[in-house]
Amino acid sequence: MISQIFILSSKGDHLIYKDFRGEESKDSISVFYEMVTALSGDQPPVVMSHKGLHFIHVRQGGLYWVASTKTNPSPFTIIEFLNRLAALTKDYCGSLSEKSVRMNFALIYELLDEMVVNDFGYIQTTSTDILKNFIQTEAVSSKPFSLFDLSNVGLFGAETQQSKVAPSVAASRPIMSSRGEQGGKNEIFVDVIERLSVVIGSKGVLMKADIQGEIRIKCFLPTCSEMRIGLNEELSIGKSQLKGYSSAVRVDECRFHQAVKLDEFDTFRILKVCPSQGEQTVMQYQLCDELPCAPPFQLFPSVEKDYVNRSVNLSMVLIFLKLRCDLPPKRSVFILHTSITPLPLSILYSMSQELSSPDQTAELQPKNKALLWEIPRFPGGAQLSALFKVDVPGLSSASLLEVGPVSMSFELPKQTCTGLQIRFLRLSPTQTGLSQRWVRYVTHSDSYTIRI
Amino acid sequence: MTDSKYFTTTKKGEIFELKAELNSDKKEKKKEAVKKVIASMTVGKDVSALFPDVVNCMQTDNLELKKLVYLYLMNYAKSQPDMAIMAVNTFVKDCEDLNPLIRALAVRTMGCIRVDKITEYLCEPLRKCLKDEDPYVRKTAAVCVAKLHDINAQLVEDQGFLDTLKDLISDSNPMVVANAVAALSEIAESHPNSNLLDLNPQTINKLLTALNECTEWGQIFILDCLASYLPRDDRESQSICERVTPRLSHANSAVVLSAVKVLMKFMEMLPKDLDYYGTLLKKLAPPLVTLLSAEPELQYVALRNINLIVQKRPEILKHEMKVFFVKYNDPIYVKLEKLDIMIRLASQANIAQVLAELKEYATEVDVDFVRKAVRAIGRCAIKVEQSAERCVSTLLDLIQTKVNYVVQEAIVVIKDIFRKYPNKYESVIATLCENLDSLDEPEARAAMIWIVGEYAERIDNADELLESFLEGFHDESTQVQLQLLTAIVKLFLKKPTETQELVQQVLSLATQDSDNPDLRDRGYIYWRLLSTDPVAAKEVVLAEKPLISEETDLIEPTLLEELICHIGTLASVYHKPPSAFVEGSRGVQHKRLPPRAGSGESTESPDVGQSGPSEAPPAVIPSQGDLLGDLLNLDLAPPTATVPSVQPSMQMGAMDLLGGGLDSLVCSSPAMGAGLGAAPAAMPASLGSAPAVGGGLGDLFDLGGGVGMPTGSYVAPKTVWLLAMKAKGLEISGTFARRGGIIQMDLSLTNKAMSVMTDFAIQFNRNSFGLAPAGPLQVLTPLSPNQTIDVSLPLSTSGPVMKMEPLNNLQVAVKNNIDVFYFSCQYPLSLLFVEDGKMDRQVFLATWKDIPNDNEAQFQIKDIHLNSDVASNKLQGSNIFTIAKRTVEGQDMLYQSVKLTNGIWVLAEMRIQTGNPNYTWMCWRRPHVRECVSQNDSPVIS
Repeated sequence: MISQIFILSSKGDHLIYKDFRGEESKDSISVFYEMVTALSGDQPPVVMSHKGLHFIHVRQGGLYWVASTKTNPSPFTIIEFLNRLAALTKDYCGSLSEKSVRMNFALIYELLDEMVVNDFGYIQTTSTDILKNFIQTEAVSSKPFSLFDLSNVGLFGAETQQSKVAPSVAASRPIMSSRGEQGGKNEIFVDVIERLSVVIGSKGVLMKADIQGEIRIKCFLPTCSEMRIGLNEELSIGKSQLKGYSSAVRVDECRFHQAVKLDEFDTFRILKVCPSQGEQTVMQYQLCDELPCAPPFQLFPSVEKDYVNRSVNLSMVLIFLKLRCDLPPKRSVFILHTSITPLPLSILYSMSQELSSPDQTAELQPKNKALLWEIPRFPGGAQLSALFKVDVPGLSSASLLEVGPVSMSFELPKQTCTGLQIRFLRLSPTQTGLSQRWVRYVTHSDSYTIRI
Repeated sequence: MTDSKYFTTTKKGEIFELKAELNSDKKEKKKEAVKKVIASMTVGKDVSALFPDVVNCMQTDNLELKKLVYLYLMNYAKSQPDMAIMAVNTFVKDCEDLNPLIRALAVRTMGCIRVDKITEYLCEPLRKCLKDEDPYVRKTAAVCVAKLHDINAQLVEDQGFLDTLKDLISDSNPMVVANAVAALSEIAESHPNSNLLDLNPQTINKLLTALNECTEWGQIFILDCLASYLPRDDRESQSICERVTPRLSHANSAVVLSAVKVLMKFMEMLPKDLDYYGTLLKKLAPPLVTLLSAEPELQYVALRNINLIVQKRPEILKHEMKVFFVKYNDPIYVKLEKLDIMIRLASQANIAQVLAELKEYATEVDVDFVRKAVRAIGRCAIKVEQSAERCVSTLLDLIQTKVNYVVQEAIVVIKDIFRKYPNKYESVIATLCENLDSLDEPEARAAMIWIVGEYAERIDNADELLESFLEGFHDESTQVQLQLLTAIVKLFLKKPTETQELVQQVLSLATQDSDNPDLRDRGYIYWRLLSTDPVAAKEVVLAEKPLISEETDLIEPTLLEELICHIGTLASVYHKPPSAFVEGSRGVQHKRLPPRAGSGESTESPDVGQSGPSEAPPAVIPSQGDLLGDLLNLDLAPPTATVPSVQPSMQMGAMDLLGGGLDSLVCSSPAMGAGLGAAPAAMPASLGSAPAVGGGLGDLFDLGGGVGMPTGSYVAPKTVWLLAMKAKGLEISGTFARRGGIIQMDLSLTNKAMSVMTDFAIQFNRNSFGLAPAGPLQVLTPLSPNQTIDVSLPLSTSGPVMKMEPLNNLQVAVKNNIDVFYFSCQYPLSLLFVEDGKMDRQVFLATWKDIPNDNEAQFQIKDIHLNSDVASNKLQGSNIFTIAKRTVEGQDMLYQSVKLTNGIWVLAEMRIQTGNPNYTWMCWRRPHVRECVSQNDSPVIS
């Protein structure tokens, strides 16, 4: 069971400290901080032990969220709990930062008390619905600033209300806004977020494709009423349920939040949920080894060796990349990072490049043996190319084998790869027109690798 | 107004100011002041001086203020116990408040104040709260019992709180049930013998009902509690499984893993041919796969657990190989775990895919990961024979990249591949030799030297290569030095003419200029071997080596079973039993998987077993692994076998040397006599081992010989089975005896550690004759440091049977409060000779004729000065019965019969020539039994 919980800033300042069982002294905080900062790269940081005390921690919002224990509890429980604690703190305080934790320490103590109920380290509840009955302290909201204020407002498309677009920071404010006043905006956000991991082999064959998706709700409605979320009716679940050759939207497996009622799910694909205030993941799903659409990018690479000066064995690597975006022309991709690692680099290096448009940039990172090509906006159906010449002294032809895979990270807004859609979003009993409902779709690359 | 300003006050006299504010009349001001106090407390300032003032604020209707004051109280009550008493009245009053929140808060806080005086006052309010009408109060009170138990266990028992707690399991509110279960589980853990959590089908049913209704965290408590239940039959276990299975699709990974634990445990009880068993296997895969999409921290923990599950039941995830492929942005610790699981799942079906992946990984940036990937290719080659060729060519490709660390790793694994598949891939040696200069890590150098030495006859310039290494001999690490010494000796034995100088050089370097005892001793052994009998040296040094197997890196089966019972806990992350890292009495009891119901393991069809390596691989007890490791390094695989052929004058010298270097070998055999007796069994031609033993055993012979009547069976002296240094201070020596028809294992347990040892228990692995402890290991008093206890453990022969190699090998696990230790020993076969082994004369004659000739074996026993009658009497003491005797031409022929516990008869003829101290002993019956019988004879007869 949990013995202590503490939150540290990235510099090791104590923000929150709570001892549940009186087994250990406060010194363990500094012990933890020393251990975590002294950790070498390949050591797993998740669970660490020191003289019979075990630390389990996660990092969220630049803070260390740590639990310590002397027994043999479930690390899953603790990690889930710490993540939940961070999420709740975010819900209550609006954002997650050293500042917001400092400002709301009394509230967080109270939260901790009610969640772990002080009770000897037994976790009791993490549901905002139950918690709000007990929580007395009011949140102090920091100025709604966000580092991640990506001005690309198109990031979240609002499908239900075509004309309006919710700003991306709209959802980061405390759920328990100061009674009444301006915070009374009755908004509910439903996000469908998918993460795509793809491996494409050197001959362009799709070797592995996984999609992990989730439907997340952030609810600001003060009174919770039942909400019905309608998914694609043709959604099929599991491998066995494929019906003929219909263009069914398919997922392999899904998991639901325990508050979700599934009585209409089997026939109508409707999720019924009474959203509690704050953020929660209603449904998680995944699709393995299959991509319903073509992978968004195709790469045609060529890597060659050339001599600058044969007599002194000064050679260079010519890397030519042709990248095609296979999305429909209306869509486009934002911020595409393409990186090639490793390159057979030694200390001396220089690079020249030819890129197809001026807003792209390319950079050589000798430390990581990486070449980074950045494309800020990539319209669907377009094709871009780049030629890189990297001088590498003493290059052997075998070391060309080393030129590593190309990995890309990107974001596809307004789109899901599985094709999962939200047909409708109904609140019952119908609210008095005050509530605003937002549905947003986005696909992130989790790991998109193309081998050369 | 933000709270952060409280952190910034550092002025002097601040305590004074706070004091004034705390005593203010205004509620708002009071609240602000308490907040400031708490803030100072958090950053570590001492604000205990304000104790009375803060306690004064306790009597308030404002819940927020009350909570803050309680927070303060919990922190400082311990350092101010007298002051804390002041708060008691308010607590007691609050426990009867109308608001259930306040009632719960008061009970909860009182439980957290770990002051003895306060606990006395706690009892009455707690008793009321346990029966409160509000479930929130009841569940808080339930946990409070656990707290109180931790402070004062006796008080809890006296007040009868435990019974009330048990009643709460049947509460109508699921959250109360969950908390009661959690509290009971914790109390039960610190009292392993009390059956507090006395689970029966009724309570299980209640728990399962509550499971569906309570919060996710409550579900975890209940599932963990279910896992400790032992269903009565496979029916019950199936019905529990059916009701737990829906938990697998829960969004909380902790719930999922707890459910997996319950299923993995109860599955053990289901017959494998049951349809449901297959269904369950299929249902387990998707949730485990889903865990890999979580945050890296959870992924890591999940992977550590999957690693265990894969070892126990590889069939669950055998089709899911792809999910373990590494993503480029995985953290390194996740990558390494995935790699490990990939190899465990590798099979002939998916090896091509795996190899292609591994090859990609081997060119990544991260050095640690690349190294591990290269190693993984080698492990694949060893695991899946069909892939070996492809693995070797992949490794050669990698060597071509000339990346230093890749080359070194590749060479290390290629050495292992040579060991596994001798005489198959030696064509690549030339390529390896090209890279000799780039090797700078000891392990790679040692591997390369081993290869050069092993295949010296195929490498033209082997002597030059080794000579080049020899130049910096003293700068090398021990590993390389030892390897170099052995390699040069090998080279010398293969090409004696050209390398004499080299071998002399290395021997003198090793024996004269080195301070390392290992190196020196090995040098001396080689030196003496070479100088006394080069032929014997050749047999020793160039002996055939046992093949290595992929099972070496598996977790030992009993440990694995225990870890499976701890899935989803820290133990499964560390891969250590909880007793290894949890202090005190908590969690020390070892959990075991339930025994499989219905058809026993032994009757399962062998093809089921092939599906995975974890299906009872018997040969992976760590002590044996060490032994094997020693042998591999020493290149002295069958050292005892060669002793007899050495000149007698050398014998004692060689013995000394061997005795020093081969401790581990000697201690694994029950007695010196039996250990050496193995030699003639392996090489019946040279039966010279008896003299070496004779000295030691002569005493025994003198003692019993003159009496001329049955003296009971022979008991070998105790030998050390488990060295203290290998077992955290516990030394075990022992022997076997048969007394009055009961087999006994006599053990001496010596505590050579600094701390007291308790909680001893013993268990045997399955063995050839089904030996099993007939009762628990009776060590009643704790074993204090430097104390020795002698214990006699009666054994039965009704345990599970599995053929061991050698036949009389016995693998034993001994547990104490510190850890579990494993060792293996050999019992004399005479242990199993039963008292009614006297065959009827007629039957004997009839059977004697029927024995086919190839079942016959002959042995000589030397230097026994007994006449036939005395011998026969002595043998009878060991239940070897003489049926008939005849004398032909001055030779006495004794016909004897022996019956083993498993009903096998052994018939024998013994010839004794008067005046000749040598006996000839012939015996018949089952071929594999016969070897063992023979090797046990010499100690028995003498």
